[in-house]
Amino acid sequence: MKRSLIYSLILLLLVIRPIDIEAQAKGSFEVTPLSAVATNSDEFAPVIVEDGILFCSNRKTNPFTTHKNFEGIRLYDLFFAPFDEEGKPGKAVKFTAGLGKNTNIGPAYLSPDGNTLWFTRNYLEGTKLKKNQPNNLGIFTARKQGSGWTDITPFRYNDPSYNLSYPFVSSDGKYLFFASDMPGTLGKYDIFMSENSNGEWGKPVNLGNSVNSADAEIHPFLHSSGRLYFTSDRTGGQGGLDIWYSVSSAGSWSKPVVLSDPINSEADDFAYYAVSNGQEGYFSSNRRKFSDDIFRFATTIIRWSNCDTLQKNSYCYEFVEEKAILGDTLGLRYRWEWNFGDGTRASGIRTEHCFAGPGVYDVSLDMINLVTGGIEKRQASYELEIEDVEQPVINAPDRVTAGETFSLNAGDTYLPGMKIARYYWNFGDETEAVGIDVSKSFPVPGRYNIQLIVSSEPGAGGVIREVCVCRDIEVVSNGN
Amino acid sequence: MGIENAMKTIRTKRYLKFLVILLLSGGPGIVLSQPVPGPDENIPYLITFGKDSKTSWGDDDFSQTFFFTVPKDFKDPFYIRIFDPEIGGKTDELNNFWNTRTLYSVYGGRGCYTNPDAKGITPGGNYKSGTLLASRVFAMENKLDEQWYTFGPFNPADGEYYPKFSSNVFKIICDGLAGDDGNLYRYFLSRRPDTNIPIEGANAFTYEYTFRMWNNNDTSYVSHIYPFIDSGCIYIKQKNFDWDNDGDFIVVSTERKGQKLPLSNEDNWTDFNMPILDAEIGKSLDFRFYKRRGELVRNNNVVMSVENQYGENLQFFSAPIGGVPVYRPRIKATKK
Repeated sequence: MKRSLIYSLILLLLVIRPIDIEAQAKGSFEVTPLSAVATNSDEFAPVIVEDGILFCSNRKTNPFTTHKNFEGIRLYDLFFAPFDEEGKPGKAVKFTAGLGKNTNIGPAYLSPDGNTLWFTRNYLEGTKLKKNQPNNLGIFTARKQGSGWTDITPFRYNDPSYNLSYPFVSSDGKYLFFASDMPGTLGKYDIFMSENSNGEWGKPVNLGNSVNSADAEIHPFLHSSGRLYFTSDRTGGQGGLDIWYSVSSAGSWSKPVVLSDPINSEADDFAYYAVSNGQEGYFSSNRRKFSDDIFRFATTIIRWSNCDTLQKNSYCYEFVEEKAILGDTLGLRYRWEWNFGDGTRASGIRTEHCFAGPGVYDVSLDMINLVTGGIEKRQASYELEIEDVEQPVINAPDRVTAGETFSLNAGDTYLPGMKIARYYWNFGDETEAVGIDVSKSFPVPGRYNIQLIVSSEPGAGGVIREVCVCRDIEVVSNGN
Repeated sequence: MGIENAMKTIRTKRYLKFLVILLLSGGPGIVLSQPVPGPDENIPYLITFGKDSKTSWGDDDFSQTFFFTVPKDFKDPFYIRIFDPEIGGKTDELNNFWNTRTLYSVYGGRGCYTNPDAKGITPGGNYKSGTLLASRVFAMENKLDEQWYTFGPFNPADGEYYPKFSSNVFKIICDGLAGDDGNLYRYFLSRRPDTNIPIEGANAFTYEYTFRMWNNNDTSYVSHIYPFIDSGCIYIKQKNFDWDNDGDFIVVSTERKGQKLPLSNEDNWTDFNMPILDAEIGKSLDFRFYKRRGELVRNNNVVMSVENQYGENLQFFSAPIGGVPVYRPRIKATKK
């Protein structure tokens, strides 16, 4: 099914319009083929469900019977590969029967509660089909009953005149994303969204020309980070189908960003699906030339799960003369006068003072007799030692504009006794850098959590000490 | 710490080597001299007027009682000496002509201190309780002008033993028998009749202090009196008389610094209640009296007493129990 789509898309690549492209910096991901489910047939569109992955394949399942379309291509169906003890998908089995006969089934999406299956299927089942009869794709749902599925229901806006496919429902169940060539499509295939209101799905809305192009956009996947990943053959990618993402902000979608290699390649790379922290997931690719295969990706970027928030150095203190009593007589005939040891003074039983910076300050308290004017010097003293917080320090603007290159600096890092060997930056968008001074540009607006991980040179016994701090940077779009 | 413990501390210290005592002199609990007024009080004179005087001159009752405590371990004879006991000459307050006679009487024996009337602040009832050990009437006697007169010798055993103080207590009363002049005087409890040699560990106190302020308008002249705060005290009521609003009255303790209290005006009383902190129990307060700057209030004679929440009068010790209280501020610094 996918292959046919790709073929049709190739014909449509004749119309190319130039667009602005923000390429994601080279990603630090390790990509490995999912050998356990690989065959000589196609496997693609993996979706993670509770205990395994659900994917689409046209593999041969019966040595004696093969279901093909009129073009001789084996029909696609859904398969399930359960996770093994290590959390890796194992040997795949046919997901279920009963979703359709002699028809393409898949890709699919399983609701988080596991009770509703959204899947793509030809409108007409094969037994009723005549050669050259149009048989587009539609979206259907099925309800789980026992170990099987029932109540197969077409999506309200299915129309046999058009294709509706690749369903994905947001985790709150409110939005259905899908790809279609239905009226209102800007290119060949666009991504649409339908909103569920009071149990009724609303009329599909085209996501607009930020997401959709004159080419084809398919395989929507809304990640918990807010990124809408999709597949497109638009220009700006690495070739063929590539995986892109866009972020919704203030009612509009940002300019799409194409994922870097090794996820995208010169081959067709499509159907991206990631776990909630974005650190690992699956996608499909025909980079191995033989067929569409499922690949697993996992980040190689270092990111601490427990990284201390950068603390602001404070040199301001409140000073209180704890024994002073104010209220039970006619008032005081003494005045408390503070000498902060930095050439400044203040009066009062309670006062505040901000010092210029770290140091040792001899804070003392004189008492002024208001009757005689006499000064009783240094009635109390306090050696105040102010140190910076022992931490790596991220010097960077709090707010930058998307696309703007800005500098980050770790020069104010204060880690006494630590001989620093490396400053490692994790920018929170799957990119990284190394060095005390680095620069960065965020293509997409949002709030990014930057981690700075400082490593020491090997100490006794070769032990390397590492310290991590993090802080947020807000990236706003142009004009905000 | 109650007064009993304070006095025991004094007893214990008494057995230290002389050199050690010298090194520690002035420290808490060490009492080495019994001049009245005491050196820490910086009060020029006690004063008692003849009974024909007006109270507006600074004496509310024309009588003043002091008690001397002699440590029970002190067995030698001792003397009570009076500086300028007569009324006339250079160091008394003349009103028209010298016509005043005062009676000094020394009491010991049972009841001289413990009789409730002895602890009052007015010369009423049996305030002359105990055994009369010595007395003398003084009028204008030039030979005693600014001279010391000595009562004694007294046997310490002739006092009233008071266990809480671990001391024998003696009482001396100065009564203005007649006339309208003011008698300025001082006392000294001495081991010798002809010179002032203190008795280690002895002390003196009164319940109502009638004294002369310094004759100047310089605030650097500060007089002090030291009420002792005994256990159980929740608040004190200080009362002062005929201060002529002469300057400032502030209180200092180990726990407070420079709190202002009210002073009376001409020929009237004023009072004020002040809560006592737990940390002030068993210690002395420092009542400080600063003379008024500017127009001089000349020959200002004043009266002061303090009572607790039960109306019991508190003692003013000439050598403050626990030493002169020193306030030490405590700094707390908190990072913002």
